[in-house]
Amino acid sequence: MERTIRQRNNVKISGEGAKTIIFAHGFGCDQNMWRWTAPAFEKDYRVVLFDYVGSGQSDISKYDKDKYDSLQGYVQDVLDICDELQLEDAVFVGHSVSAMIGMMAAIERPESFDKLIMIGPSPCYMNKPPYFGGFEKEELHGLIDLLDKNYIGWAKGFAAMVMANEERPSLAQELMMSICSTDPVIARQFAIATFFSDYRHELQKVSVPALIIQCSDDMIAPAAVGEFVHQQIPNSTLKVMDAAGHCPHLSHPEKTVELIREYLEALM
Amino acid sequence: MDRQLDEVPCGYLLLSDEGEILSVNKTLLELLGYEHADLVNMHFHQILTKASRAFCQLYFFPLLKIEEKIEEMHFSLQKKDGTEVPALIFARRKTKEGRFTNECIIVPMLQRLEYESELLKARNIADDALKEAAATNAELTKVLEALKVKQEELVKLNKQNEEYQERITKELELAKSIQGISLSVPFCNEEISISAYYQSSTELSGDMYSFYKISPGKYGFIILDVMGHGISSALISMSLRSLFQMLIMKKASAAEIMRELDTQMHLLFRNGDGIKHYCTAIFLTIDTNKKEIEYINAGHPPAVWIGPNNEVTEFKATMPPIGMFEDLNFPQKSFSYQESGRLFLYTDGVTEAISSKALNLLLKEKEPSEMTKDKIVHFLELDEEMAIKVDDRCFLLIDL
Repeated sequence: MERTIRQRNNVKISGEGAKTIIFAHGFGCDQNMWRWTAPAFEKDYRVVLFDYVGSGQSDISKYDKDKYDSLQGYVQDVLDICDELQLEDAVFVGHSVSAMIGMMAAIERPESFDKLIMIGPSPCYMNKPPYFGGFEKEELHGLIDLLDKNYIGWAKGFAAMVMANEERPSLAQELMMSICSTDPVIARQFAIATFFSDYRHELQKVSVPALIIQCSDDMIAPAAVGEFVHQQIPNSTLKVMDAAGHCPHLSHPEKTVELIREYLEALM
Repeated sequence: MDRQLDEVPCGYLLLSDEGEILSVNKTLLELLGYEHADLVNMHFHQILTKASRAFCQLYFFPLLKIEEKIEEMHFSLQKKDGTEVPALIFARRKTKEGRFTNECIIVPMLQRLEYESELLKARNIADDALKEAAATNAELTKVLEALKVKQEELVKLNKQNEEYQERITKELELAKSIQGISLSVPFCNEEISISAYYQSSTELSGDMYSFYKISPGKYGFIILDVMGHGISSALISMSLRSLFQMLIMKKASAAEIMRELDTQMHLLFRNGDGIKHYCTAIFLTIDTNKKEIEYINAGHPPAVWIGPNNEVTEFKATMPPIGMFEDLNFPQKSFSYQESGRLFLYTDGVTEAISSKALNLLLKEKEPSEMTKDKIVHFLELDEEMAIKVDDRCFLLIDL
């Protein structure tokens, strides 16, 4: 069991601190996206990185298309890792969709986490007036369509993968053509689970303190969404970074680290 | 920008890490319908559709940052007039004068897109078909499992059935031996010699015979055949046998005996809801002193008398079978003989196997009754081996 979860989610542990900080990657990428931020915490924390099942170098044979049809399947991944590492009072850093996944895990298991760091969170990407999510339904479909078109190059023979992935744990490696590549079928399902989700009603249930890091010019999770999340989560802090894009930990790693550090230290 | 790059047959863009357009070539400007001043220092988003902007933030910039290059990424560009141009983008991240810049080549792909869309459509169809197949497969697996369970149930039921059959067979064998035991035991004295044969077609027989020494020199015989065979017929014949035993001990007359048996048949099926059985029978008494035979034949095959000179007399039916009609008369007939003779009583199962002619020939041979019996039995057994369906069989051979 112990080995299975670690292998399944490609769990990587480093660092020297007593307290654990766990980094959860967003949609469409893997733990590599923390390469410029996570090491900064190794001196003071036990740093945990992992890949969701179906992403990066996880064991793709454990992918169950019914389980991962909603974000709840990914929440279970986080909870499994919590059990595995017996996490208590850990800091959860989640990017994009992982901010929501981490939030759900913290609602379900508050004893495992004592702080949430949400980078570019969005509880709902679709505009549902008066709520502004940033996207019309057709635009989200357009995004899924673009995703499809960009995966077409690898699409050959993928029909077989859906059926046979149990026998092919090495598939993840085969598909590592690009650093953030995932099985296109899984990526598509993850995209749909992500972009059509609506977790607005869950925000108020968060009982741990949360830091929201919002880029000033983020297309995916616009500033108004960050503001909404901040309003809804009772004990939350909003930090707006003067940056464009959805991945401040990649575009502005130093600033991102600084904001997280400041927040954690202030609460200590 | 040098003239060559400006007019190269593909779009060229230079972007800052923040996505600001630093430089753009003429080919791209013409493709999109913008002037140079419209785009320089603007954000890359300016020339993208909304979905592409999101995609760009999700993939283009993160990947470019991590891998420092992008190859064959599909985008939708947005022209100044709002129309879309699908395009492929290639990019490299470079350091230039101490700052990072991203060089991009943009190739419109209108025709190729159609081809790709077709591929995508085909893929989605294949995907759906696969899903359907998987669903069907899951359904079939379920059915198979249900079938397995049913099969196990059947095997169990079958075993129960076998056990039940075994028990029933045992019970029937026991019943058969009881039926056999209840038959009168043949005897032989200076006045009379009796041989008997009894064989049921199934476990139990509807045939029955019985005889009784009423008084010195006077004997009563009955042979009967209840319609059908098996358990129901056997039960009826057994009940008639008990009644017969009781009546003959009371020295009842032939008519009284037949009447009582007939009444019993009617009584048995009084509440039978249309189920009606009937029975053929011959009852006869032999008085060896008076050398007289009295008989009643209720629809039964005739008894055969072979006189000393092989003259044959048949004791034919004197009335219809019992249990068939109400309010019958029971006319009795008598027959006197001179010296010795042989009397043969049988059920129709015997004449179905051996012709009356052959039977008569066998009976006429002046052999001891046991020997004649063995010969008849031999014929019956031969027939049994060949016949598809065998009736109950029994006969009595009485030598006087």
